[in-house]
Amino acid sequence: MEITVSNQNDVTVLALQGRLDGLASPQLEQRLDALLAGGARKVVLDCAALTYVSSAGLRVFLGGAKKLKSAGGRAAFAALTPAVHEVFELSGFLEVLAVHPTATAATASLT
Amino acid sequence: MIPSHQLTFVEEIALLALDDASGKRLPMPTLGFSYALAGAALCDLFHLGRIDTDPAALTVLSTAPTGDPILDEVLKVLAAAPAPEPVGSWLGVLAQRSAWLEAAADDRLVERAILRRQENKVLWVFGVRRYPTVDNHERIEVRTRLRALILGDDLPDPRDATLLSLLCACQLAAVIFRGPEYNARADRLTALAKMDLVGREVSRAIDALGKALLGASPLRL
Repeated sequence: MEITVSNQNDVTVLALQGRLDGLASPQLEQRLDALLAGGARKVVLDCAALTYVSSAGLRVFLGGAKKLKSAGGRAAFAALTPAVHEVFELSGFLEVLAVHPTATAATASLT
Repeated sequence: MIPSHQLTFVEEIALLALDDASGKRLPMPTLGFSYALAGAALCDLFHLGRIDTDPAALTVLSTAPTGDPILDEVLKVLAAAPAPEPVGSWLGVLAQRSAWLEAAADDRLVERAILRRQENKVLWVFGVRRYPTVDNHERIEVRTRLRALILGDDLPDPRDATLLSLLCACQLAAVIFRGPEYNARADRLTALAKMDLVGREVSRAIDALGKALLGASPLRL
């Protein structure tokens, strides 16, 4: 999986590309932890190019969102592909996480 | 590795499934406890990074020992499979070993001085084993945490989401968390219960088993 990080005002946008499985999820977890330690509090996870997410990936999404909230921040998820949207729906993540149709909308929701 | 102070999901389910007063197992659907223990073992291995799951299959990521003999034994079983199998299949396999899982978990809780073992006889003949609580701190702590999660609107910690999902799947949540305040949060509980794939599969297996048993019943109205 490839992670591209960019900043828009005080929002950190992580564009995820590829498969978020048990092998890739530690990489995302470490990146999120490092951003949090570096002071990031508003994070968008752009899933437009994310083709697959396993339970390990969902755990990192939930854990990351929880850590951000505990630190006074917020996470927003954007542009779920049909495969990822289906997994979010099955697991009830659509009901507890902030999900937006585009990265622009997700970024706007945090500013 | 699991921190020594932290209970595994297998231990937590075994502990929460006991009635505080009598030390006996709380009521659950047929094989509910067996499937919950099997699911708990898979959840432990998942949170330790040894396995991953999706709706199609369970994948072993690492066979490195966890340091927990119960989980290492389960991991060996999973790793010996020639090809990935769905979570539901593994639940069936592991549920058949639930007597071993239950005994091992109870032994561990006794070793941790959370429970004590009490052997009784019914009618001076039948042996009955009970597990009165010695130290109720763990059970109170986890119930308090889950109660706040159900009644509040906070995001769950991934471990709490897993535990709650397992408790809902074997219908223990309905026994432990009951009353008007929980009834009012039924939608929230349903949403939280869906968050763990293994928990969902445990729930599905128990429902299917219940329907099969109902269909096989000779009683017809």
